Amino acid sequence: MASATEVLNRPVDDAPARPWTPSVQGWAARLLVLIGIFAAVLLITATRPNFWQERIALAAIWAIIGLSLNIVLGYVGQVSLGHHAFVGIAAFVSAWYVTEQAGCTIERCSFGAFATGTVFAALSGAAAAGLLGLIALRIRGLYLALITLAYGFVAERSIFEIPSLTRGGAGMPATRPDGWASGGEFAYLCFIFLAAVIYVDWRFLRSKVGRAVLSIKHSEPVAASYGINVTYYKVLAFTMSGLFAGIAGSLFAFHSQNVVSNDFSFANATLWVLMVVVGGLGNRVGVVIASAFFALFPYLLEMWTWFAHQIEDLGRAMGNVTIVVGALLALLTIIQYPGGIGEQVSPITRWIGGKRFSLHPDGHGHEKHDEPKASGGGGLMGKLGLSKETDGQKETSRLEALGRAVERPVGDRLPPAPPPPPKSSAEVETPDVWGSLTRTKSGDGN
Amino acid sequence: MAAVLEVKDMGIRFGGLVALKDVTIEVPEWEIVGLIGPNGAGKTTLFNCIMGAYQPNTGTVTYREKDISLLPTHRRVALGIGRTFQNIGLIRGLTVLENCLVAQHPRIPYGAGSALLGTPRSYSDERRARAYAMEVLDFLGLTALATSHLDGLPYGTLKLIEIATVLATDPDLLLLDEPSSGMGPDEAHALGERLIELRKTLNLTVLMIEHHVPLVVGVCDYVYVLNFGQLLTQGRPQEVQNHPEVIAAYLGGEAKTTEETTDVPA
Repeated sequence: MASATEVLNRPVDDAPARPWTPSVQGWAARLLVLIGIFAAVLLITATRPNFWQERIALAAIWAIIGLSLNIVLGYVGQVSLGHHAFVGIAAFVSAWYVTEQAGCTIERCSFGAFATGTVFAALSGAAAAGLLGLIALRIRGLYLALITLAYGFVAERSIFEIPSLTRGGAGMPATRPDGWASGGEFAYLCFIFLAAVIYVDWRFLRSKVGRAVLSIKHSEPVAASYGINVTYYKVLAFTMSGLFAGIAGSLFAFHSQNVVSNDFSFANATLWVLMVVVGGLGNRVGVVIASAFFALFPYLLEMWTWFAHQIEDLGRAMGNVTIVVGALLALLTIIQYPGGIGEQVSPITRWIGGKRFSLHPDGHGHEKHDEPKASGGGGLMGKLGLSKETDGQKETSRLEALGRAVERPVGDRLPPAPPPPPKSSAEVETPDVWGSLTRTKSGDGN
Repeated sequence: MAAVLEVKDMGIRFGGLVALKDVTIEVPEWEIVGLIGPNGAGKTTLFNCIMGAYQPNTGTVTYREKDISLLPTHRRVALGIGRTFQNIGLIRGLTVLENCLVAQHPRIPYGAGSALLGTPRSYSDERRARAYAMEVLDFLGLTALATSHLDGLPYGTLKLIEIATVLATDPDLLLLDEPSSGMGPDEAHALGERLIELRKTLNLTVLMIEHHVPLVVGVCDYVYVLNFGQLLTQGRPQEVQNHPEVIAAYLGGEAKTTEETTDVPA
């Protein structure tokens, strides 16, 4: 770490020195830790008894739901209280397809049927959410939250009660595909889907799509002035969210193996919102951890037999406790830790991502503290010629020159240098996308 | 020489309030045109109409002989009109570099599909976009701030970063909304020089709203004056500066002395 005098004497040009990158050993250590985490998850899953494997599979499904909701809540910045509708519709579509169309029986179901059913489920979820996205173009905030609430209730009371789709209260069976039927196997299947969703979500956020969505969240006029098609990206974000919810819904159908509409209630939707908040809005890792925690929490609590007996005596289900705890955690998060779990684990995630280990919440502790604002700012101003000291000499002469320049004959509105040819319309349609500033623009100006 | 931007008979009303009425302006190639007027005159409203943020009731906007009156904002930006905002139009929460990346949105060729799948093409396009963003920042001397977050940066610097982002959209025509607000006289002076330099090196045409009189006089080739949504007068900066109606509009009375107003310092 540089001493204060060193920092102050450092020329401004050195300030943006190449960002710190870990050594080969550093990368190896990071990779090792990452592999260790994955191995631990897989090992835990492999060594648990079947009923715990089932629960771990559910945790993975909830993680997908969390990531789905995270797009709406964290990236778009709107509240969806109707996510159980998307998950539920997808679950029923998937179960309906494999049972009614693909001819799966209680005993057997081909992997092809499962895959096709999941594709249909994902598409139906995407369509349902895309429709909501169209509404969200006009309505925001509280009113949109109310509309999602209504959306959820309408789905509950109409779509979930179509007998041919849901078989009423008896439920629609959804047999797990051959080879993935046991708890452990199905858990691994859910992990594969979770990994795919995490990958797509990561690309979503790190590409121009995510930047567009984030800028729309901040300010639609500014986003539009950056050339972003606000309508397209808003609907795209909702559709993506619905796609993830659809995948989760399909997996949920095969997880429970018999889909009943009671599984998709408003209570679930609120719990999902809470878990995304606790995980940290817009924070992928935090949301996954929080989702898994909320999915497993009632079962972990059941292991505390005394407490489980008390709840049983009260005639209540563990799910109620989860909601209470979820609400309390959400309160704690909002008041005390606005970044959620994601921010608490961010020193680790940042380190794995190739940064220096730092407990500073912004993640650029080193750079920030090493370079005092005054030196960077003042030096910058000097470099830009914005401060008096650096170009005091030029000052008077140039302004006078500017003053004189405007005293031209009245008719002469054109500048002295020959103006460049305007871009032809063909050029405007297909611009030289990557032309560098100097190559395309300078030279012909003067 | 055809004008880059022509606004004809622009009119817009919000309820009973006539914000703009029959405004006709013309921005010829390579000129820096000023748009001045007292507060509430409709200057920013005119910008919003040019960019398509508002739908005007009457009038047309023509950009390089193409009627763009019905295009949505992002299409107008893609054609080469860049715009800055009166109160910093930047995305908070993103770094300076990321803002320049967002601003390149229409220039980045890969589509949403390859973005989500993470195709090699999306990576190489991202790398090029990053290099271009650094080039723009370097051009404005902002390289040192590339990875900084916006919070805590001085207002004048933010204004400059906003110009960097608007340059990243690869504009032909810049609409600047009070670029020198929040800057001291020296900084405003440097900004004027920078605008002239920009025009020279990037072949930009500029239409700018500005209150800073020395900057307008020093930089603009032509000035339009708006008052109560209508064009009051137009002409070369020094004619406009001494125009009795302009002085009256700004001072709210019939000012006789021109001396006092001409050397309003800053």
